[in-house]
Amino acid sequence: MTDPFLRAKELDEKYRFLNAVAQDTTSTGAGRLQGYSVSVKDCICTKGIETKAGSRILEGYVPPFDATVVSRCRSEGAVILGKTTQDEFGFGTFNVNTPYNVPLNPHDLERTCGGSSGGAACLTAVADFPHLALAESTGGSISCPASFCGVVGVTPTYGRVSRWGLIDYANSLDKIGCMAKTVGEVALLLSVIGGPDEYDSTVLDVPEEDFADLEISVEGVKMGVPEEYFAEGVDDGVKDSIWVALKVLEGEGADLSEVSLPHTGVALSAYYIIAMAEASTNLAKLCGLRYGLQPEEGGNFDEYFSRVRAEGFSEEAKRRIILGTFTRMAGYRDAYYLKALKVRTRVIEDFKRAFEEVDVLAAPTMPVVAPRFNEIAEMEPIQQYMMDVLTVAPNLAGVPMISIPCGEVDGMPAGLHIMADHLEETKMLGVARAWEVLR
Amino acid sequence: MSAVMGLEIHVHLLTESKLLCGCSTDNEGRAPNENTCPICMGFPGSKPRLNRRALEHGVKIAKALNCRVLPEVRFSRKGYFYPDMPKNFQITQYEVPLGEGGHLLLEGRRIGITRVHIEEDPAKLVHIGGDITSAKYTLIDHNRSGIPLAEIVTAPEITSPKEARLFLNKLSLILEHLGAFDPCGEGSIRIDANISLEGGQRVEVKNITGFRSVEDALNYEIIRQRSMANMGIAVERETRHYDAETNTTSTLRKKEQEEDYGYIVEPDLVVIDVTDDWIKELEDEMPELPDARIQRFVEQYGLPPLQSGIIVNAGLDMSEFYEECCRLPGDPKEVARWVVTFLMKSLNYEGLSLRDSKVNPETFVELLELMDEGTISERLAKELIKEYVSTGLSPRKLVEERDLGLMPLDEIRAVVESVIENNPKAVDDFRDGEPKVVDFILGQVLRRIRARGRPTKIMEQIVEKLKSASVAQ
Amino acid sequence: MTEEWVIDRRLLEHLAQVSRLKLTDDELDKFTEQLQVILQAFREIEEIDTEGVEPSFHPIDVRNVLREDAVKAWKWDPLENSRHVEGRYLKGPRIT
Repeated sequence: MTDPFLRAKELDEKYRFLNAVAQDTTSTGAGRLQGYSVSVKDCICTKGIETKAGSRILEGYVPPFDATVVSRCRSEGAVILGKTTQDEFGFGTFNVNTPYNVPLNPHDLERTCGGSSGGAACLTAVADFPHLALAESTGGSISCPASFCGVVGVTPTYGRVSRWGLIDYANSLDKIGCMAKTVGEVALLLSVIGGPDEYDSTVLDVPEEDFADLEISVEGVKMGVPEEYFAEGVDDGVKDSIWVALKVLEGEGADLSEVSLPHTGVALSAYYIIAMAEASTNLAKLCGLRYGLQPEEGGNFDEYFSRVRAEGFSEEAKRRIILGTFTRMAGYRDAYYLKALKVRTRVIEDFKRAFEEVDVLAAPTMPVVAPRFNEIAEMEPIQQYMMDVLTVAPNLAGVPMISIPCGEVDGMPAGLHIMADHLEETKMLGVARAWEVLR
Repeated sequence: MSAVMGLEIHVHLLTESKLLCGCSTDNEGRAPNENTCPICMGFPGSKPRLNRRALEHGVKIAKALNCRVLPEVRFSRKGYFYPDMPKNFQITQYEVPLGEGGHLLLEGRRIGITRVHIEEDPAKLVHIGGDITSAKYTLIDHNRSGIPLAEIVTAPEITSPKEARLFLNKLSLILEHLGAFDPCGEGSIRIDANISLEGGQRVEVKNITGFRSVEDALNYEIIRQRSMANMGIAVERETRHYDAETNTTSTLRKKEQEEDYGYIVEPDLVVIDVTDDWIKELEDEMPELPDARIQRFVEQYGLPPLQSGIIVNAGLDMSEFYEECCRLPGDPKEVARWVVTFLMKSLNYEGLSLRDSKVNPETFVELLELMDEGTISERLAKELIKEYVSTGLSPRKLVEERDLGLMPLDEIRAVVESVIENNPKAVDDFRDGEPKVVDFILGQVLRRIRARGRPTKIMEQIVEKLKSASVAQ
Repeated sequence: MTEEWVIDRRLLEHLAQVSRLKLTDDELDKFTEQLQVILQAFREIEEIDTEGVEPSFHPIDVRNVLREDAVKAWKWDPLENSRHVEGRYLKGPRIT
């Protein structure tokens, strides 16, 4: 039997997906996750294991408590493996925005794993022992790396899973989700981590659901194909791969129809404005007091805070803090923060309207396959943001989504994105399972 | 030059646990940072959980101040960096308050209440090696972080520093009646006072503790601003700090340095519906407020309004004490007279609050009973009460043990005769019509008998004796 | 209206101060340019008709979550992760 810790460290030498390894290698023994190792994205608190959210400003921080999702895994018999690397605080689409490990795509080491949960996707792809990954999505950070690395990634309905212990990026957008090699396994992990939690006031008042007993469901399922998701910016090779899948599913009884989500384009701006506004407040607590980076004292508090934060945050974090601060300043707040929140309502309406007609939506997860690192280095920030165009809208709307491997372009995996209405994970998992079986 | 003043009051709400976490609010005797958890210390990954009772207190306060209570409760993040802020933002209510558009009745005048809302308290800072402007470093204690506060903002309708103090007294009493706050708790109420002269720039004096200090700070500001105006110097809009020791204010922050708080809605809390039913439930729970109590004492006990006001305004303790005394046999009007005229004075003199004294209704009414029975004189009672408030010893027992009961009249007569014998000049003065001689003898007699006699009766005896003595000579 | 969508270097310096970030001159220059581009891209939200639309602070309506007022002490060492302490106090920088 492979020792998952040794094996993970071995693989990490080559693929660089770990930020920290757990010292405690024990499990409680019995439960639904018995026999599994669970890796935890760096932004999810693990008691006793350094948790940095990919940032220097939290270097050395050892949480005194487990996130709810982690304690649920532990009590179901899982072994917590360690922390997977990520873009700092979730700020990124390629997992390059971090002073720590930048994970390499197992299909081509010169390409990105995607982000921000790049480490989770990478390990999921290469693990040759029973492994499940806890990850997190704000604007697509589970779907994107799952798509780029050729694994399954599920982002549940906002409020399905407790965020207690999740180091916040944007509180009204963050969702903890799962990655694994198979749909069955993500469904298993989702069943364990979901459900009410008194420590998170935004958790939905719905009972725990068991998704593990999946029905392969595609016969008669109404599948909407949003026209905006096949527009110009999407790579032809990717489009083709998706259409192949859709045709196959149609052949098995799916009822395809074209739908429109007219606010898809503008969702990107609305998303970033809201996310950055919230993030800039979340990151304010990181100032060299109580935990993390706490350099030599000196200066008054303005000087000390400014110095620590300049040292501890990466460039992208600084950009987002500044932009986020800007969008909520007096005089700008109405035009940015409040306006973006109203646009969000429109985006949600788009999805609600679509789901009156169809059961699920199907589209490419990402507009491209994993870019090369040297291509990414040439990108301006705005170009990087635009990569999220297909994932931000459903994330903004808080609907559940799953990305599942679907064909290849130039030897790199593409991802099929299935989305469902709030709390309709079962429908979406059923379709994903069907494709998994059929492909 | 007329002055326009407003107040912003922060009150510690009486709850078991903090506003957003289950930590205790009781910090008495705790080591620094002992009463904390990841939530109130702003640890990454922690999320707030709203305390129902704090919200209920807030609604009751809003109603007691005649505010319109808003149907939806939302919270905001008010962002600013400071060492006492565990998250470098404060969870408060910005977009929508809990209540608005209310008023407090002060001596027949309405002082507008602009808004009432709840928020969390920051940590406590200790400045080491100096004061806030000169310290070398700061020590931070998060026991206080997250304590629930109600913020009450008045309209700029207060017209004098004295009125500010009276306003605060009344507000404090209302809150005390509501059970929303404990006036004796350390730092349980903090005030920011705003003042502008003759339509000039507004100056804010922050974080004043003590109602007298508010009056003093505002008086100082009036003097300062007037003298600046006389010298032709413009008063700048700024935030100042009040130093109680020197009774002066000094600059803390100028206008350009004022923070832009960058408010967003608090995304880790959800909206709360304040339904009419819930408000009605809370209103039914609300105890009697000061104005209503003053009126009731007038009607129920036949007290003059002024006297009723004195008892109620002395605090919840006092009016409850009074009522308990009235439940015992005796005349409520007499009780009132003794409470107002002698008890309160004695407590003041001994520097005791009712709560700290050993006074209780049963032993207090003994004093009145003893006078009624004729066992002691009123004068003796006035003496005894001074001792009573600090010892709480049963007056009845005291009188017995020390043999302080009224002296029998024939014993007094013997003393009167003895005093007059020792003061032969008094007889001559009396014959000559000297008016003060009776009082003089009375004083001597009372001293000798240790006030164990009724002055009127003694005076009768003195006059009688002096008459007979002057005739005899 | 147009001014709202402009970030110049002076505004950037102000924002850096408000968010307690000490930026180098290079960063200030670079950010001014980058953020300007990003803001222009965000401008598209101006075009969207949101007349009479309520803002969505959450994507799903969750309401009325309250905690009963009861003490539940947390057993932990709050200073375990702190480097600057004095006794049981956290040690922080001076105010001015």
